[in-house]
Formats: sequence, structure tokens, C-alpha cells
Amino acid sequence: MGARGGLLTASRAVTGRRPLVVILAVLLFALGALAPAHLVSEFVLRLGVEGLLLGMLALSVAFLMRQAGLVALGAASIYGGVGYLFAITMSEWDLSPTAALFAAFVIVIVYAAVLGALIVRTNPLAFMMLTLAAGEMVSHGVMLEGLRDYTSGADGLVVNFQGAIFGLQAADFASAPRFWPIAWSAAWVLGLAVYATGRSRFGAILRAVRENEERMRFSGFGTYLPRLIAFVFVNGVAAVAGLLHVLNSQFVSPESLGLSVSTNALVASLIGGAAGSIGPIAGGLFFAFAQDEFGAHGFTQLLTGVAIVVFIVLFPRGIVGGLIEAARRRTYLAPRRGEAP
Amino acid sequence: MLEIAKLSVSYGRVRALDAVDLTIRGEGVVHGVIGPNGAGKSTLLDAVTGRRSPTSGAVRYRGEDITRKSVAWRRRRGMARSFQRTSIFQDLTVREQLSLVARHLGDERAGDVIEVMNLGEYLDEKAGRIAYGVQRRVDVALALIGRPQMLLLDEPGAGLSAEETLNLFLHLRALVRERGIAAVVVEHDVDAVFACCDVVTVLDLGRHLATGAPAEIRADPRVISAYLGSAA
Repeated sequence: MGARGGLLTASRAVTGRRPLVVILAVLLFALGALAPAHLVSEFVLRLGVEGLLLGMLALSVAFLMRQAGLVALGAASIYGGVGYLFAITMSEWDLSPTAALFAAFVIVIVYAAVLGALIVRTNPLAFMMLTLAAGEMVSHGVMLEGLRDYTSGADGLVVNFQGAIFGLQAADFASAPRFWPIAWSAAWVLGLAVYATGRSRFGAILRAVRENEERMRFSGFGTYLPRLIAFVFVNGVAAVAGLLHVLNSQFVSPESLGLSVSTNALVASLIGGAAGSIGPIAGGLFFAFAQDEFGAHGFTQLLTGVAIVVFIVLFPRGIVGGLIEAARRRTYLAPRRGEAP
Repeated sequence: MLEIAKLSVSYGRVRALDAVDLTIRGEGVVHGVIGPNGAGKSTLLDAVTGRRSPTSGAVRYRGEDITRKSVAWRRRRGMARSFQRTSIFQDLTVREQLSLVARHLGDERAGDVIEVMNLGEYLDEKAGRIAYGVQRRVDVALALIGRPQMLLLDEPGAGLSAEETLNLFLHLRALVRERGIAAVVVEHDVDAVFACCDVVTVLDLGRHLATGAPAEIRADPRVISAYLGSAA
């Protein structure tokens, strides 16, 4: 039988290390959720939360880049936009905070589906420019005079909410020590969801479409729908990050929708490594702390630019990708098939 | 199985295919298509498989007009092709790409293809890292999955030695006969075509020149004059 019987079964050997990896992951999760609040200052924790939120946004950008070969420059319009929608649906539709959360999420998903239906058919360069254009339209749209009553224009919108969301009050979300475990857990859930999607049959179809769209069509696959689903999926991830952001900061402004947030997410994914789920989140954390450090010297943009160039030249696979590669070389681990963790 | 009626394809003002009529029979027939460069051989395959829209004319497959049907639709109805330049998934392992297509097309016996194309030892190699000749076999294997009724192969011997090409053709002929399917093979290696094909069509400057058994084609003065020359 040999090949005949084994074709449809992937040759993923179950290694003896797997249970150990699971135990270590559970320990890391628990430690990461509980320890920082006792070990570091509130300021550091606040920076960490910012980094995790950016990392979650980077996760969405990296997935689309890695799986579909598409670079999106409009992630911030979802990230910030869902915050505006949360505030507006609460104030204008008298929804409870929890209902407003779901309503904002659904509206953003519908928007992403409509936008995606229009743009995922285009080539990667056109796609990038169209996401940029759509993002800029949204970020300038909130400043329109006619919408000022809803968005407060350039001043931004303070988001007050009464009542609990999943048993947590506004003060819980605003407090860095209490919000950190929420952000940490969300980062893990989103990271695992993105990882599992990438490793699934759907992920394989996306990679195959990215690599050779024509061959996919000649193999009987439609190539439009997988891309559209991927686009909606990553915008869902960005929307979750955006909702967490607005719950934590309780403020949204046009800056949170702007191109700089989108490019920060892209840079974070490149710095951390776009090949898996750990890289973008680590990149977000690294970016947030580096920005703070650079800001203390007064040359934020200059030092950020230098750091980006240095990292991308020295670590083309990002920090996490580079570390994994170095560990493999050191321990003579055989390269794994498929993507990095 | 396949009827091509007055099929024309133009690239701007250049007429690559000019009102070609052709009938391809099924049931174990290997149909070779030969002709000089620019004869329209690959364009014919492109128009039949939906890669290129014809300017005029019609393609009927198993009695149904498929001229405007999508590529994916044709593939799901059993029309498969390989390409002149290897078209595989370089970054996926051989196993990943074959199983992806096999699952999509519901081919539980796709393992047969591995044996026929002799790919067993390459299953866990990334396709981009294997030798070109093996990549060509992966390309043909992708077309064979799903047990297609009609196989259209565009220069399957490109980049292979004369011996490898002949072997590939012999394998192909055996498979076509065993499965009772039809194959259309565009090929430059005239010896391999004459040795393995049941019917041969000659195109010249986008026009249909002749169709017949290999011996008839070899002896046809028009074919000798336009393509085979004194070598025939």
C-alpha cells in the first residue's frame, strides 16, 4: 500500500515533546496572566497592554500577509472604527454595553465583507492601495462636520458606559492591573485561533491560492471566496483588538483610525516575525516598549526608523523567527514542515 | 467526447487560432497535437480549458457547450490539464498539494496517481526543492487527480530527455487505456508523439492542417512540407 494508503494522511509524526510543550504553554499562560500585576509598575503594565493590543492587530495583518500574500494598510480603520461604533450604538440606539459590543462587531464584519467583496479580486498592489484608501476615507469620515454630533470630530469621543460587560465594570477595564489578564487571555485566544486557521485545510488552500492561483483554478477550486473569508476573518481579529482597546482606554479619536496605527501593526509583525502567532504579538510588545524608550530620548521617529531597518536587515524572519532558526541550528533540530509556531 | 467548432482566438490583430474544427474521441485514445512554433497548439489547449476566451467558435464537451464555463467548472466536470511551464505549488510538499486537490475533488483513490507517476519517495519534499523532471511529474499528477475524463497536457516532455519523454508517454498511454479516458497531448518531440499517440493533429499558423493516424500524418505531403521536412 505504502504511498497509496498514506496519501491523504499527513505525515505529522507525533513527537515526544508535544505534552511538554502543552504543559509549558499552560504554565506560561498562567504565569503571564497573573505575575506581571505583582512584579511590575502600573506604568509598565499599561505599556504592556498597549503592546498586546498592537500585537493583536499585527496578528491580523500578518495572517493576511502570510497566508494570502496580501498587505492591508487599513487595519486601523477597523481597530478604531469598531470603537466609534461601540460608542455610537450605545448612545444613539440605547443599547447596553454588551449589546453595543456585539452590534459594533457585526457592523464591522458586514463592512469588511462588503469591502472585501470589492477588493480581494485585485492584485496585491492594488489591494494594498485600496485598503489604504478605504482606511483613509474612514479616518477622515469621522471628522466630517455633519457627523460631529456623533463622533466629536478631531477632539475624539469619550466612551462612558454604565453597567457590566461579562461581569466586569468600566473601572475594571480601565485599570491596567485588572485589564492585563484580559488582554493577555485575548491575545492567546486570538493567537491560537489564527494559528489553528493557518494550519487548517482552509489555511492550506489560502497558501496554495497565494502561491499559484491559476493552478488552483485548474484544480477545480474557486479562488475568490477563500480570500474573501480570510479578509473578513482578519478584520474580525482586528475588531476584537479594537473593542478591547476602546474598553481599556474609554476614548476613541481619529488618530486610532489613522495610517500610523496600521503601519505600526505592519512594522510590529515584521519585527516580531510574520510566520506564526507568537511573532506579531511579541513584535507588538517590543514596539510599544521601544517607542517609549525612544520617546524618552526625544527622537521617536528617527530611532524607530533606524530600529526597523536594523531589525529587518538582521532578522528578516523577525525576532521570533530568528530565535527559532538559531535554536534549530544550535540543537540540530530538523526544520518543521509548514509554518513557524 | 470533445468537439471544437470553428474555434478562433486572436491576440490583438494576430490570429493565433483560425476557425479550427476538431473532434477528440474518448475511451482510451491519446491524441497528439504537433506543429511548428506559433502554430497555435498551446492556444488551442488554453481555449479548450478556459484559460483563454475564444474570439469565436464553440467548445462542446460530452455534448454540452462549455465555451463560456469557468476553468474550475470544467475541472470539476473532469477536464484536467498540465502546463507548458511547470505549474505546481513550490512551497507545499508533494503530499500536501496532491492531498489538497484529492480531497477537494473527492478522489479517495488518489494514491494510484503517486504510483503511476512514481512520486512515492518525494511525498514529504517541498516541491520547489525537487529535480525539474520530478516537478514535471507532479504537474501531471495534479492533472490526474480526480480521475478526469479528459486530460490535456501541454508539452509534458519539456525539460526532459528524449528517453524520459518517451517513458512518460508510455506511462500516459497505459493509464489512458486502463482508465478509458481521452488525452490530448501537445508536444514538440515528434518521435514520442508518433510512437505513442493513436491520432495526430497538425496545426500550422493557427489553422488545422491534418488529422489522422501517425502513419498517415508522416506520409502527408502537406505536413512534410509545413513541419516535418525531410526528417520525416
